[in-house]
Amino acid sequence: MRLTKYLLPLLLVLTFSLLAGCTSTDEEKGKTATPQTNGKMITIGWPLDVGPLNPHTYLPNQMTAQAMVYESLVEYNDDGTVTPKLAESWDISEDKTSYTFHLRKDVKYSDGTAFNADNVIRNFDAVLANRDMHSWMGMVNHMKEVVKVDDFTIRLQLDEPYYPVLNELAFVRPFRFLGDNGFPEGDTTQDSIKEPIGTGPWVLTEYKKDEYALFSRNENYWGEKPLVEQIKVKIIPDSESISLAFENEELDLIYGRGIISLDNYTYLKDSGKYKTATSEPLSTKALLFNTQSGPLAELKVRQAIQYAINKEQMVDSITHGTEKVANTLFWDAIPYANIDLAPILYNPEKAQQLLDEAGWTLQNGEKIRSKNGQPLSLDLIYIASDAIQKPMAELMQGELAKIGVQLNLEGADVMVGLQKLMDDQVDINFWRTNGPPTDPHSFANESATPNASGVYEAKLGLPNAKEIDTKIHQLLVGTDEEERVQLYTDILTMFHDQALFYPISYETNNVIYQPYLKDFAPRASEYDIPYAQMATEK
Amino acid sequence: MYESTWMFCLKRILTLPFVLLGVSILTFVFIRFVPVEPAEVILRLARVAPTEEAIQALREELGTDKSFLLQYLLWGKGVLQLDFGTSFVSKLPVAHELLAKLPATIELAIAAFVLILGLSIPFGVISALYKHAIIDKIIRFFTILSVSIPTFWLGFLLLYLFSLKLGFFPTNGKGTLSHLVLPAFTLALPTIGLFVQFIRSTILEELQQQYVQYAQLRGLKRSVILMRHVLRNAAIPLTSLLGMTLGNLLGGAVIVEQVFSWPGLGRYLIESIMNRDYPVVQCYVLIIAVIYVLANLCTDILHRLLDPHLMMKGRRD
Repeated sequence: MRLTKYLLPLLLVLTFSLLAGCTSTDEEKGKTATPQTNGKMITIGWPLDVGPLNPHTYLPNQMTAQAMVYESLVEYNDDGTVTPKLAESWDISEDKTSYTFHLRKDVKYSDGTAFNADNVIRNFDAVLANRDMHSWMGMVNHMKEVVKVDDFTIRLQLDEPYYPVLNELAFVRPFRFLGDNGFPEGDTTQDSIKEPIGTGPWVLTEYKKDEYALFSRNENYWGEKPLVEQIKVKIIPDSESISLAFENEELDLIYGRGIISLDNYTYLKDSGKYKTATSEPLSTKALLFNTQSGPLAELKVRQAIQYAINKEQMVDSITHGTEKVANTLFWDAIPYANIDLAPILYNPEKAQQLLDEAGWTLQNGEKIRSKNGQPLSLDLIYIASDAIQKPMAELMQGELAKIGVQLNLEGADVMVGLQKLMDDQVDINFWRTNGPPTDPHSFANESATPNASGVYEAKLGLPNAKEIDTKIHQLLVGTDEEERVQLYTDILTMFHDQALFYPISYETNNVIYQPYLKDFAPRASEYDIPYAQMATEK
Repeated sequence: MYESTWMFCLKRILTLPFVLLGVSILTFVFIRFVPVEPAEVILRLARVAPTEEAIQALREELGTDKSFLLQYLLWGKGVLQLDFGTSFVSKLPVAHELLAKLPATIELAIAAFVLILGLSIPFGVISALYKHAIIDKIIRFFTILSVSIPTFWLGFLLLYLFSLKLGFFPTNGKGTLSHLVLPAFTLALPTIGLFVQFIRSTILEELQQQYVQYAQLRGLKRSVILMRHVLRNAAIPLTSLLGMTLGNLLGGAVIVEQVFSWPGLGRYLIESIMNRDYPVVQCYVLIIAVIYVLANLCTDILHRLLDPHLMMKGRRD
């Protein structure tokens, strides 16, 4: 066959020409030139695509990108206060069921259209058409109606008082506002939007799915305008690749919790070439003890575990100082959480004493304590892919072995552990708080109702579980501030005294940036990156 | 083309629906073995507390509240109408999502393929011709190394060396030829190692054959013997290996795309598995199955064209 003689060269020529075709078509698009950072643009790496930028939905929208384009009626600050944003002021009725918001009159959407009461109502209606999806937010379950008072005033009517309304309105989604021209046919924003038109300081001007999103300064912005003209969000799914891109000066900064591994963060920090910053706490890493059955149904065993672990050393050695040691479930800046609680500090002797008192004793020659022939063996589930949980679990296993407690470790998928804990199949699980602006009320809410957070089930074995539930319900619908403070104090104290949680560390946003970027203060927020404050001298 | 070859193709193509049926059932079952259902995963990843109401509403929306059998039948019915369902996460048609990402993966695979053919043949031939010489030892050392290094580690090694230290290529992204070099090379290298070893041993075997000695006695030039006879005969087993290579490339692309932020199918698959995006994973597996079957078919046809024995057998059949 003569054909075969030419087959291989032919194949080679064909593939080369195909390849040339592929690359040239991409070049023709001209949108993915080699990254260039100039004084007018800041480039950041992010592991996931920004998504369709729909203000009223969740995945695959990235909160950090939604917060760039859309704004809320009020804003939650790192110190726990709530201040005006698109609403310049508000009045709350005597019975705490009606909130009247006076909208700013100088706000325009990025496409120049007006922000007014009609548009606000339209947004609320679109969100509430999908109530079930937002039922995690307590306010949604209490909202009766939202009505227009005049062109720049709206009234939000609840069926009963629900104090965290302002905190929940401040959250990044779903109560943020889309311009009229962004609404789809029939206003079904739960499915899609026509265009991401917001009032925020940034406008999406260029987008290549899974590659990058380019945001430009909104020249119509009513507030303080950002210092740089553009923010480029490059999508780099692998944390190692983000580190390398930053080292290669393809990125100006790395911002956020868990964006790169702590080893890489420490390596970059220790190189001395870059600037670093750490935010105030944004969530708490803790262990959640299952009190439904087994040894952890006993308070003394739960306390003994807490005394047995050298938390300071664990947090410092594993998180390289990027997380702060936590002795209480919430830090002081969280509303209602600034209460005096006695920390449980490392004391292995005390741990042994508590176990002896509880009847878990070491028999001759044994290394594991037992009671009525049952060994003191506990299961802990950690997230297998979490670079911090695994070493922490291993370290705790060693610490507990010293006091005669066997800790069996199991690495699992993100959601498996909590499900097992709820089903009473595991003793201990890693757990984290939601963080502001929804804490502590969302934590309280989740603790009192069965849902996937696991706290409700974990506390079923507590002697005062019913009392805690009652108090939680009172505080969410109560109208008296003093009474609320007292209720929170009671609830958080009960949880603390019952050692249901073992607070480990406060997680923070870790920021590392190129030396030519001017200093800025990172926010203690999961979604609010302070781009407006950033400037580059390059 | 001969009738027997057409028949051969036809038979193979007729088995495709059965292969796809088997693959789709297995995928459907296996993906549901993964603990935690899509509704809860989606809510948790959205950082909201998955309340019963929200989970139920989402189950209804996704269709995961129906029985397993009904889900499969509905999905199958859709597939027969070329409707592969809607992504749980993006709410867009799965076929549209995958087709949008397919070109990037094909581009990467073709580039890797070019490198495999362009590098492994000359190195394999040199290694065989200079058996036991220094050059042969160097080539063999590198082939063993390339087969042994894990792909992700190789990717980072190349990134560190050629992007960070030497500044030749960007570390991530897609667009220009310089963006393509490192990912394609990372994807191709393990296969290049495999091919070089294979070509070397095949050529050494062929060189021992009587026809080569006969040709030498006839006074034919060594290069002619090599090009016209030895390489052609060595190409026959190589074609079988080419079919398997495609599998390696598609499998390797998953890791390479992740490391180099290459916006292709592999990266999307990882994301979809994390998000329990069943329709995407199911459609992806179907696409891969079709590609596999067709690639193997092409390999077999090529094999028949190159190997006269098979053709003769076909004619006798």
